[in-house]
Amino acid sequence: MVMDIFLLCMLITTFAMVAAKRMTALVNGFIGESLFLFFFTLTLGLRSAHAELLMVAALLFIIKVIFIPYSLKRISNKIKAEEDLGLFINPMVSIFISGGLVYLAYLFTRRIISMPGAIENAAFFVSLAMILIGIFIMVSRMKALAQVAGLLVIENGLFLAASAVSGGMPFFVEIAIFFDIFLCVTILGIFVYKINRLFTHIDVDKLTELKG
Amino acid sequence: MEIFIILIAPLLLAAISPLFKEERPLAGINAMGHLAILISSISLAIHITGAGKIEFFNLFHLDSLSAFFILVMALVNFFSAAYSAGYIRKDIEEGFVKGKKFVQYYALFNLFAFTMFFTASANNMGMVWVAVEMGTLVSAFLVGFYNNKKSIEAAWKYLIICSVGIALALLGTIFFYYTASRHGGITSLDWTGMMLVAGNLDPKVLKIAFLFILVGYGTKAGIAPMHTWLPDAYNQAPAPVSALLSGVFLKASLYVIMRYTAIVNKCMGPEFTGKLLIFFGLLSIAIAAAFIIAQRDSKRLLGYSSIEHIGIISLGFGIGGPIGIGGALFHVFNHALSKALIFLGMGGITRKYRTSDMNSIHGALKIMPFAGVAVLIAAFALAGSPPFSIFTSEIMIAIAGFRTGHYMATIIFLLLIAVIFGAFIHHISGMIFGKGPENMRKLGTPLGAKIAVILITAVILITAFATPPFFNKLLASSVNILRGI
Repeated sequence: MVMDIFLLCMLITTFAMVAAKRMTALVNGFIGESLFLFFFTLTLGLRSAHAELLMVAALLFIIKVIFIPYSLKRISNKIKAEEDLGLFINPMVSIFISGGLVYLAYLFTRRIISMPGAIENAAFFVSLAMILIGIFIMVSRMKALAQVAGLLVIENGLFLAASAVSGGMPFFVEIAIFFDIFLCVTILGIFVYKINRLFTHIDVDKLTELKG
Repeated sequence: MEIFIILIAPLLLAAISPLFKEERPLAGINAMGHLAILISSISLAIHITGAGKIEFFNLFHLDSLSAFFILVMALVNFFSAAYSAGYIRKDIEEGFVKGKKFVQYYALFNLFAFTMFFTASANNMGMVWVAVEMGTLVSAFLVGFYNNKKSIEAAWKYLIICSVGIALALLGTIFFYYTASRHGGITSLDWTGMMLVAGNLDPKVLKIAFLFILVGYGTKAGIAPMHTWLPDAYNQAPAPVSALLSGVFLKASLYVIMRYTAIVNKCMGPEFTGKLLIFFGLLSIAIAAAFIIAQRDSKRLLGYSSIEHIGIISLGFGIGGPIGIGGALFHVFNHALSKALIFLGMGGITRKYRTSDMNSIHGALKIMPFAGVAVLIAAFALAGSPPFSIFTSEIMIAIAGFRTGHYMATIIFLLLIAVIFGAFIHHISGMIFGKGPENMRKLGTPLGAKIAVILITAVILITAFATPPFFNKLLASSVNILRGI
């Protein structure tokens, strides 16, 4: 029951990110999403008494709830990015589209995947929805930082999917994936910074010198 | 144990590079290191054809297929390292690379090499995913190495597109793990383990999983329509890095796709994967053909040529059978070498002319005779004309196509490569022949590059007719691994 609520909250915070018009709101949405992901993994770990899952939960908290949002906010302050996200599609329509994506994820989970437990099924469904919405955020937001946020939503979704599948992937794989995501965000941050310095903006749709 | 040298040497080279104050000795040691790796990889290949496989630490599993790809990677790494020496020095002389930035180049170069060798030797498909992702992150810095507007734009596109691709690949990996643990009864992502229980896996899930794998890793392999980062990256990266991307990075991603295909095929036969690979292969060749005809930029031309060859490899692999898969693997080898050769020549030419725009490059043969000849040879090799080895592998794939009854696909394939042959040679000869700019001085080629050019030319000429016995054995047993025998 508690876990269902966490899953629902994850979905709601993801929608909050879709509706966000400003960078701060987007990052706050991400903090919420990661926090509920942390609660979910923690509960899963406590119930199944896997010490490994608890470790993963701790890492999740440090990296996704504290470090990444902090560095995103720092970058966005440092480059004095205008707060607006370069919305390609307005929030109202975005929410409708995301609703459609959630339905797609639901259909897919029902038809293809049949997990042993109801919670795993629900987790898988929510994770797919998050991945799809993350991709949607990436293609419909034209600021470099917003695209990074989209990627982060995808990765939260992937993480949830991995822990839904029979209580998590092999431990060292998860740790390695964490490390990778951590690096990926750092490196994307470096590039956002470089783009801003060279172009004096971070509008991805204005990066059009290379064609053909 | 050769594999330890192959995995540890790049890390050592990366670690010692900050100690150097001058570029020259570092470049020399780097090239020597990669020569040692190349020799080890040949020895590994010979060793494995005898031993069958090598396993250790519960993490690495090397069979003929791994050894084959390690050999290809080591070859390209070595030529690229030898070429980097002169290339980066020139960049320093001309002020593109300032201060100790060359250290960064060589450190990244070797970290990239490490991730790619790791990809080919790890058994756990989760770790393979991690290695490919690390390779992407490291090489993004190499693509954006010059730090100007265009190269940062290229690097950004490369990072974002490949990150989405790799995210989808991870989803595919999770699906594989799901069915392996639920239906196969194993709790690991080991390729060998999944191969063992392949018969029990759920075909419905496998189909979806394979689609994600193909799109995900296909993004990195440059399979159309996920190829859009590739021409930009080729255009902006330093020429030795472009050679690495085409010879090593694209091939490593294809290698992963091949591993997964073997699992899926073992479970439900080759029809499903075959159709998909043939479709995406032909699509890649067709898109490459269109862009090669209309191309104006020499380095983007090479990018689209890589997309074409990746398409040919996945076509051959999709057609299947011993000849189809054998042709595809042989094509991996041939393309890596021929592409390295053309970059060796083209890199110097585009720098001498200070542009990669084909309309502004004429008469390269007169200005840079050696580089001009190298580009010309490589162009004919890449376009698939005899007596070069690419011709042999393309014919193998065409024969396999007709034998297995894929008439339509094979005819489209032959028509498309005929079109590409014409367009590619037309573009290249426009740059090589004719009168050069009046006031441009003639320029020689450094000895290292000359040796590399002669060596590669010899290899692609000789292997067109005969390959050494260990190589044949390696190829044959790789084919058997991929066919699940």
